[in-house]
Amino acid sequence: MSWNRVAVVGGGLIRFGELFDQSYEKMAHGAFSAAVASVDKGFEPTQVEAAIVATQRGTLWGQEGIGGNTVPTAIGLAGVPCTRVENACPSGSDAFRIGAMVVASGVHDVVLVIGVEKMRDKSTDEGLLSRAAAGHPIYNRAETAPVLFAPFATRHMYEFGTTREMLASVAVKNHHNGTLDPYAHFQSEITVEQVLASPPVCHPLHLLDCCPQTDGAAAVILVNAERAREFTDKPVWVAGFGVATDHPYLHEKSTFTGLPVTTAAAERAYAMAGVGPDQMDMAEVHDCFTITEILDIEDLGFVEKGKGGVASLEGETAIGGRIPVNPSGGLLSKGHPIGATGVAQITECYWQLRGEVGERQVEIRHGNALQHNVGGRGSGVSVVNILTTNNP
Amino acid sequence: MSQPASDGPGPSPVGLLGVGAALPSGRLAAADVAVGWGQAGGRGSLAVCGPDEDCLTLAWAAAGAALAAAGLAAADVGGLWWGTARPPLAEGPSLAFLAAAVGLDTASGGLLAGGSVHAGIDALVAAWDALAAGSVASALVIASDALVPGLGTGAEKATGAGAVALVLSADGGAARLVARATRVRPLLDRYRGDGQAGTGDPYDPRLYRERELLPSVASAVDALGDRVPAHARWSLPDPDGRLGKAVAQAVGARSVSSEGVFPRVGDTGSAAPFLGALAALVEPGPVCLVGTGGGRSTAVVLDVITPVPGAGPALAALEGGAGGTRAVTYASVLRSRGQLVPLADPVPMGVPPGSAAFVRGSEEILSLEGRKCSVCGTIAVPPSIHPVCIACGNESGRLVHLARSGTVQTFVVNHTMPPPFEAPLPLAVVDLDDGSRVMLQGMPEDAAALAIGDRVHLELRRYALERGVPVYGFKVRRRIDHNGGPPPASANGTTGAAAGVVDLAGARRERS
Repeated sequence: MSWNRVAVVGGGLIRFGELFDQSYEKMAHGAFSAAVASVDKGFEPTQVEAAIVATQRGTLWGQEGIGGNTVPTAIGLAGVPCTRVENACPSGSDAFRIGAMVVASGVHDVVLVIGVEKMRDKSTDEGLLSRAAAGHPIYNRAETAPVLFAPFATRHMYEFGTTREMLASVAVKNHHNGTLDPYAHFQSEITVEQVLASPPVCHPLHLLDCCPQTDGAAAVILVNAERAREFTDKPVWVAGFGVATDHPYLHEKSTFTGLPVTTAAAERAYAMAGVGPDQMDMAEVHDCFTITEILDIEDLGFVEKGKGGVASLEGETAIGGRIPVNPSGGLLSKGHPIGATGVAQITECYWQLRGEVGERQVEIRHGNALQHNVGGRGSGVSVVNILTTNNP
Repeated sequence: MSQPASDGPGPSPVGLLGVGAALPSGRLAAADVAVGWGQAGGRGSLAVCGPDEDCLTLAWAAAGAALAAAGLAAADVGGLWWGTARPPLAEGPSLAFLAAAVGLDTASGGLLAGGSVHAGIDALVAAWDALAAGSVASALVIASDALVPGLGTGAEKATGAGAVALVLSADGGAARLVARATRVRPLLDRYRGDGQAGTGDPYDPRLYRERELLPSVASAVDALGDRVPAHARWSLPDPDGRLGKAVAQAVGARSVSSEGVFPRVGDTGSAAPFLGALAALVEPGPVCLVGTGGGRSTAVVLDVITPVPGAGPALAALEGGAGGTRAVTYASVLRSRGQLVPLADPVPMGVPPGSAAFVRGSEEILSLEGRKCSVCGTIAVPPSIHPVCIACGNESGRLVHLARSGTVQTFVVNHTMPPPFEAPLPLAVVDLDDGSRVMLQGMPEDAAALAIGDRVHLELRRYALERGVPVYGFKVRRRIDHNGGPPPASANGTTGAAAGVVDLAGARRERS
């Protein structure tokens, strides 16, 4: 395939959480500064030739809706070409994909991808309600975010005998991983019993089956591979990416035991990268709810369809397991500031492939890591990015 | 001397083809209301609306039952005559909303009668005249009310909610409309001023009884003279559970079919005269039903020739129908009526109900429409957001009315929602019997038992009051038969009469 190869040479984020004391702009600046500081051989902000900003709910949540205009000034780069990307929960991962394509095109050699999201400036009720009224003005009511995933849990349990304990094991694992990640929103262990006993949110999902509402920002720096050595001796390459779409409404879905949109995105990314799921050393996947991670690991090809619950319960996805999933803590523990989520996952993959994350380090055997988000009105958009240490 | 104008058109072949009734499943013990005000007393239980029910959703359910009983397709009905003292919109398209939800033709006639609990009778009288005059061949008459009594009034311990629908024909039926008389006196009984939320009581109960109710009812009945046969069964006003006896004595009624209605459901306003007559419609013989309110009383004589189709199931609806009844608290009733309001500002929903998005989306939800692909037959829901087929992408399709029953593919029970939603709220993806698939809210009482594979049917409910405007759409109810198990699927996709489901298979509007 004839495209300029792309390297990641820096990545950083701010500690995720309820950042009541930080503005959208301050979060953006914090993430950008962290990314700049992470570049091994030094990086001048003015080296950024173009920026892609991922902010998902800007216009709905009252934060700065025109992120493409707001962020350059916030990070001291007024004047730089900058565009906001919105593509549902994968906004951050799609901003990364688009940033990679900008570099691959040869138009720009150094591109900043930055994700910023203010989830907590409005009350929980208002956040829930704006979600609950999305879509058709009358048809879709009371569809808070869990409603978009819980039907899959109901059906997965019905078809495959998946249990609430299996779902809970995902939350327990990711909360454990979060205790090892200083950037995670939550940093405490939980037990299966605690998950089972937590209040019901949307049957069959309970409170600890759900990710929190989190503020956060993350940034990565992409460069033309031919110039990567100017910035680091340990670059990580963009091996491939894929995006796919599906009908946005739940009643239009062909199945409730999986998200074919993720399989489609993954097939494109695997084909582009020339690798398969067996060659991944780790994956950062979309675990907005426990069931989502179970669907993901099946749809991405890590485990057989229907076996995601058992694989999670048996530790196959733990750090040290057959395919470590969400070593950063995932959305369940690290948090889900939507536009920032995918960019932060890329940062984790970058660090993991470079062997920089200490206690939560996974074993790197093949040199490949996979990043994934899925979302939209009814999981209608999925994005998969694959990073590698293998030379392009 | 000629017959007074209010005494109707004289003998005509106008008849009753079928009847249906609907009552909310909620039951409030009148004694609980009394306790709330530090009083003793309160008799019987009151049928009260949940937060997603009102006089329009009850009217829809009764209409479906009546049409099914009459064997008439909604699209073939000449018009809708709806009487309710308190339409959901004091000004606005209440009648049009109901007509669309029932599935009437856009050229159908009719009117909305309101202003007092005499409104149900007014609707009947107007439809009768239209049929006698030959304006229409058939008429759907609905009397429904879900009144909001003023806080602390005696009516709080008496006000119920309910609906009755009658399908009338210009050409006879199981019962004939024989005679009627209306008498008018400018007296203040129950009232609600412009801008007032709750209905006020009469000034003095004894004064109301002696100088208003009894003389008014008696004057209408007296006007009929011997046109009321001595062996007639009577449906008489009983607004508080005690006055009914006095009224019966005043008019010399020996057999009163409305006895026993009030203790079970309370005073259902405009619907009360018709609910009270149901027990008389199940067997042949003359019936006299009397309605009063707003300074007017009307007595109507029917001659039941054969048991009126639907009357039996309608009577069962008084007991809650197949779903039974459920006890509700006084506080929940106040909340549903909008009389118990939190301090915090409500969070507005995303789209104002007068906006273009609502205009585009309202009718297709009320009429429950889908877009059927002309090439592959796939039905996409709702049509306004599907300009092409979701399966094959073809641009050629037509509007169809969706089936009203189906099977649960998967579901959730939402426990965490801000107002106006109330938990627990099931939401189900349902494979409808026409091959289409929808996702709709369910009933709170089904939250515990709902399961994949359950048979469900669709009912019209009020989704929300948004910026004061009621927003209606369909919800799913789990179907149970009297043995407790799901009933077998019926060939035409309709359910029992009391459940109020209309088969619109014959009423599909086809547009390109």
